[in-house]
Amino acid sequence: MKKLLLICCCCVLGYLQTFAQTNSVSGKVVSGTDSQPIPGVVVMIKGTNGGASTTADGSFTVSIPGQTATLQFRYVGYTTKEVDVKAGQNITVTLTEDVTQLNDVVVVGYSSKKQSELTSSVTVVSANKLKDVTTNNVGSMLQGKVAGLQVVNSSGQPGSAPEIRLRGVSSVNASQSPLFVVDGIIGGNYDPNDVESITVLKDAGATALYGSQANAGVIIVTTKTAKEGRTRFNAKITTGFRTADFGKLDPMNSSQLYDYQKELYRDYIVGATDNTYKIDLGKFYAERPLRLRGQDYDWVGESFKRAPLTNVYISATGKTEKNSYYVGASYFDEKGTFTNTNYKRLNLRANSTYTFTKDLSITNNINLSASKGNSYDYMDMYYSFLNIPWDNPYNADGSPFYMEPGLPVEWWSRDRINPLHTIENSDHPYKGLNVNYDLVVNYNITPWLTFTSSNRVAAGTDKSVNYFSPLVAGNYKANGGYIYELSSLNYGFISNNLLKFNFQLGDHNLSGFAGLAFENGRTEYSGGSGQGLPVGLKQLSVATSQLRPIGYFNQNYLNSFLSQVNYNFKNKYFLSGSFRVDGSSAFPTNNQYASFPSISGAWLVSNEEFLANNSSITNLKLRASYGITGTQDIGSSRFLGLYALTTQYDGKSAAVPYQLESPNLTWESKRQVNVGFDLSLFNRVTLTVDAYHNNTKDLLLQVAQPLSVGFETRWANVGNVINKGIEIGINASPFKTGKFEWNTDFNVNFNSNKLENLPATNVRSVNSVSQIYRNGGNLYEFYLPKWAGVDAATGSPLWEKLVYNEAGESVAVEKTSNYSEATYQEAGSALPKYQGGFNNTFTYKDFSLRVNTYFSYGAKIFSNNLRYMRNDGNEPYYNQIVLPEGSKIWSGPGDTEATEPSPQNSAGSTETSTRYLKDASYFTIRNISFNYNLPASFAKKLNFEGISVGVSADNVATFTNFLGQDPQTTITGGNFAMPGLQDFKYPNNRQYLLNINFNF
Amino acid sequence: MIFLNKKGFNMKTKILLPLAVMLLTAGSCKKLEVAPSDAITTETLINTPEGLANALNGAYALFKDHIEFNGTVDMNNMYLRQFYHLSDFASDDIVCGQVTTDPLYYSFSLDHSPSQGNTRYFWYVSYKIINGVNTIIDAVEKQGSEDATKKQLLGECYFLRAFCHFNLVRLFAKPYSVDPNSPGIILRTSLTDPAQKGRSTVAEVYGQVIADAEKAAGLMTQVRGVQYASKEAAWALLSRVNLYKEDNAKAIEYADDVINSGRFTLTNATSFKTMFANATNSTETIFCIAFTDLDDYGKFGSIASMIYSDGNSGWGEEFASSSIRSLLNQHPEDARNSYIVPSEVEGVVQKKNGIEMYYITKFSFQGGSPNLSSPIMFRLAEMYLIKAEALAKQNNTAAALENVDKIRENRGLENMLYNGTLPAGKSALDVVLEEKRMEFAFEGHRTYDVFRNKRTLDKTYWGYHLRGLKETDVNLATKPSGYPNMTVPYTSPRTIYFIPVDEVLSNPEVTQNP
Repeated sequence: MKKLLLICCCCVLGYLQTFAQTNSVSGKVVSGTDSQPIPGVVVMIKGTNGGASTTADGSFTVSIPGQTATLQFRYVGYTTKEVDVKAGQNITVTLTEDVTQLNDVVVVGYSSKKQSELTSSVTVVSANKLKDVTTNNVGSMLQGKVAGLQVVNSSGQPGSAPEIRLRGVSSVNASQSPLFVVDGIIGGNYDPNDVESITVLKDAGATALYGSQANAGVIIVTTKTAKEGRTRFNAKITTGFRTADFGKLDPMNSSQLYDYQKELYRDYIVGATDNTYKIDLGKFYAERPLRLRGQDYDWVGESFKRAPLTNVYISATGKTEKNSYYVGASYFDEKGTFTNTNYKRLNLRANSTYTFTKDLSITNNINLSASKGNSYDYMDMYYSFLNIPWDNPYNADGSPFYMEPGLPVEWWSRDRINPLHTIENSDHPYKGLNVNYDLVVNYNITPWLTFTSSNRVAAGTDKSVNYFSPLVAGNYKANGGYIYELSSLNYGFISNNLLKFNFQLGDHNLSGFAGLAFENGRTEYSGGSGQGLPVGLKQLSVATSQLRPIGYFNQNYLNSFLSQVNYNFKNKYFLSGSFRVDGSSAFPTNNQYASFPSISGAWLVSNEEFLANNSSITNLKLRASYGITGTQDIGSSRFLGLYALTTQYDGKSAAVPYQLESPNLTWESKRQVNVGFDLSLFNRVTLTVDAYHNNTKDLLLQVAQPLSVGFETRWANVGNVINKGIEIGINASPFKTGKFEWNTDFNVNFNSNKLENLPATNVRSVNSVSQIYRNGGNLYEFYLPKWAGVDAATGSPLWEKLVYNEAGESVAVEKTSNYSEATYQEAGSALPKYQGGFNNTFTYKDFSLRVNTYFSYGAKIFSNNLRYMRNDGNEPYYNQIVLPEGSKIWSGPGDTEATEPSPQNSAGSTETSTRYLKDASYFTIRNISFNYNLPASFAKKLNFEGISVGVSADNVATFTNFLGQDPQTTITGGNFAMPGLQDFKYPNNRQYLLNINFNF
Repeated sequence: MIFLNKKGFNMKTKILLPLAVMLLTAGSCKKLEVAPSDAITTETLINTPEGLANALNGAYALFKDHIEFNGTVDMNNMYLRQFYHLSDFASDDIVCGQVTTDPLYYSFSLDHSPSQGNTRYFWYVSYKIINGVNTIIDAVEKQGSEDATKKQLLGECYFLRAFCHFNLVRLFAKPYSVDPNSPGIILRTSLTDPAQKGRSTVAEVYGQVIADAEKAAGLMTQVRGVQYASKEAAWALLSRVNLYKEDNAKAIEYADDVINSGRFTLTNATSFKTMFANATNSTETIFCIAFTDLDDYGKFGSIASMIYSDGNSGWGEEFASSSIRSLLNQHPEDARNSYIVPSEVEGVVQKKNGIEMYYITKFSFQGGSPNLSSPIMFRLAEMYLIKAEALAKQNNTAAALENVDKIRENRGLENMLYNGTLPAGKSALDVVLEEKRMEFAFEGHRTYDVFRNKRTLDKTYWGYHLRGLKETDVNLATKPSGYPNMTVPYTSPRTIYFIPVDEVLSNPEVTQNP
């Protein structure tokens, strides 16, 4: 897009040639990065107004006024170069990439601006900085690359999406994911390979234009368009494999478990007087025969295998006078490391713009994507970790052994279930088909006034099935299997109609737009569940019992007015204001409309005369913005008092109180202040610093009710979440010679978050793990008894018990071995204090090496797996983890070094407490990729313009003290999910890939 | 200046086209109204007779449904499942065979906490039922109808309110007989009460429960089947509440009302063995919660799955204790033994973690399903035993034993009747309580009967309620000794549960239990 614009500018420049042509110089401009020709490079003859621009194959011809001249070559993203030439000479000019991209055109909101004109905090990530990581989701590619963007890859499940938060979490119950805007229209589907660039809008100066949907920031995705005339093809093949990363969750093998279980035979009965505290080996060998050590079955190893991944991408682009197009096809196929999980996706995209007249152009973009995959059942993963190595999962013929709880065979694992047999006889498939069609009309009414109408129709359907054959032991055998099907159909329409203006009056430039937007979306769900299936059939229609139909829909409308005015004076002083009004169907009639204004300004100090000739400061800009964004994304009808009619009693229709009325419900709004500066030094280092203070007011909050009113919560606009923080981004080329180049970028975001003005304190629990929402506290703050170690005298677990005075203040801390006396206390938040990335690229000739890292500090994660896998003998038939170094099980009175309670006196030790709450700070080498561009001459022989090959490794190593699976843990709540609660999650993947890229 | 374009004449058409599109967009702006697809507003509901009937059905449904709590629909969460766990797992009738992270374990270990999931859910759903019926009561009373159907509906609402308040006060407050002035529970009897409200005393709660149940009895004239409340169900509740309150005369009076209503008869020893699988059709059932085939929740969510398994159907981790088994085993012909089924392989009783697996089947086999039953809330046998206990307390031993014998006659013990003679060393109350323990084992009575009579629960048998017990320490040939938690006196603060953390944090008027 930006390059396209530049080509236009260049053409205009070309027409401006008014002088007589005398002596010509010709040549070709190529990129230092990949030796590819660069079209559209501005070639200026220094000291004159004359010049030209390069054609599609990078060639140019200019006429110089005399026999010698100095030519200046300019191109966006590259360092400007000057070359002395003689008349008649033919030269090849190599341009090197510039880390400072001041003249880049950035897509922001409903318009594009030059980077130098920006008045707000915006980060652009270009495609080449994204593509080192191969995933199916752009979000995971962004990890560590944008200051202030927290990306959590909490699951390694095929097809899973990362969780993304910008500048902390600013809502409690409303949506917290940034708004995605694809090609200028909210929402939309695309393949990562189709992405040209990503723009992250971070402050209200930029996001207020998206008003009600922009509370969590905006991520703008721009897909590819043709850059040059000639038809070019690109083919990319990536293939490799992945393995599961279990972090520090290291299950015991047979002999480790055998030795560990001796501890269960210590002669110690609490309260008895004749304890010897010795291990009763006689009894141990009688009950745990030595042969067990030879029965070593690696359940984790059997359930998780190396899995292949393949991505094939082919595209074609081209441009004629009237028409420009891009066609891309991508096929992504990943198997999961966990047995019988996978994901496949096919994506087709066609973008085309037809220019009817110089005043009228129409863009048609269509994206079609189809996906299918296999999910998994949580219990299967649970048993894969917990079954113990003495049990053989297989029959002699290698098929999974059928184990049912009541089967009288030797089986040690607690619930007497073989997950491998379950997996073989169950199926969790899902499928999806999605179509987007965009129609954009651009019509220049006058040179300064343009009408733009951008519209999208989107439709999609998804289906998922959860099936267990009657052959599966347990519940399913008893009930004749189980099937659950859910289909959804979604469709929607968005239309934005804007009048855009732009005038230049002397040193004054005024631009902006005003218009109307309309959004409508509806999703319908239908399906059902049933039991009593004939073996071999997987249809709901053949189920004979427990038939339960499912059906409901969600619908929403949004009507908007939006406008923006930008003013700049001499390209030094910039001022921008925007105003949006949104009306949402989520609120009662009188509260549907709200307005979202913003104002932002910038001073481009480096354009002032006093810095004009300063060679060290090449760019300096000061920025400030203030604005309001909002949220309405809480689903429809939250303001009504409702009874749900989804149940029955004695076969008769039954209505259950479902929601308390909240007739005054309205928008949540976030007041955002941002100040920052951009500084470039010596054209080598760019520093961007931003500080922000975001106050979300009138939270759309599910206010805790006393349970005795019969409802957990009532929706209300109350309470504040305040996020304060600093973001620092540094981009530099510390080393740059002709052949060798080192580029580095570092970014970090410090964020603190605070809850205020809540009307009531609320505790939320999942799996007995609690978090507290209180005034002065943080979001996702754990609320647990504090672990106080092991009682050296008795080996019992200890917790803190606070002693309170009459005024309710705690005055002393005691220790108690009685869990029910332990005091619940605030114990830290699941959100990090700071996080960021440090990325380096080294280029030598045609080789390049890129190393991306990501770090996160200060988050607390509850490692719920340890409640099972470090359970002090409370549940002896779960497998245990190898105890970390420095751990010691209590062995007798006076054992002051013990870190683990006595199995004989461990009652309550696995109850939720800070014992399992761990510091999840980590530093991870996210990705290493190595690329080689084959010599152009070699590629030519094969009829290609360029060929590059590369290898990459993802999630290479994670450095952390976190005890559990890898520390990336969900920060989203939900069914059985809590931010910061890790519970036998699908392990992340280490990934090793080979990729080959052809241009022709 | 710049506004004056050279092509000014074309401007009209040039501007009209975009304007037309803009107007079209503005025109397509919808009225921003969306109706919910599977819910109905409260006003709509309470203004139709069908709506009110549905709302009442909803109140009954909440005893059996798993509804969302803390953002999760947890199959472990069900009013009745938790009522039985919180009551009977704390008793000497059920032994724990396996330590678990499920909060049901706290009833054994007594590691109670205000944030344990099961008490929180139970509290929440209890009040959901109470406030749901309050909404109906409010609407019906405003409509002021005298029609019998509406009065029946109103009576059922009052009954359910009384029943739920009473179960709450049993679990979260001291027995009336121990301290009527101690904190009870929060009474919710009006829609206009402030959300933040303190606990009434135990005596006040009993007062309200009795008032509501009496009102209910007066309003209900229809018989809709035992799966719905009736006048007799209200009397049965009144009889039980008055017994707990030690108003023995009233307890006897209401028990007689039920007995004399003629609606119910005791089952005999043979049909007793299938009574719990056929609760809705049993002649003994006064009131049960109907579970239909659709409410067969299987292993993950049924009441039965923790205490019974056919090998696949349940978890089967808690068993009939050796204490209740030895009591019933005194007379192998006692029909009540039939609800205790050992898990045997080739005649050998299996063990789980060293504990003998004697399954409990009072919540199984409706329609043959191992996990389905319609739990009985009130049945006729209780009326006789309430009478017996009240008479014993009135020192009318003969009459008390007569009522006990009425039960024994129908349980296969027709040859083992007391016939007016107390066994040596036992009081009439001992005999009554022993009979009630056998008759109502696993039905959620035992702990209340022990503690309200100021007795001590004796759990001196092997099981994982014993602190720190390891399988290897289990020796079934001897009795355990030295372990904490073996006995629980009625004075222990752990005979009742903590008020759930949600209530305490959002309702400062409420005091916590010690």
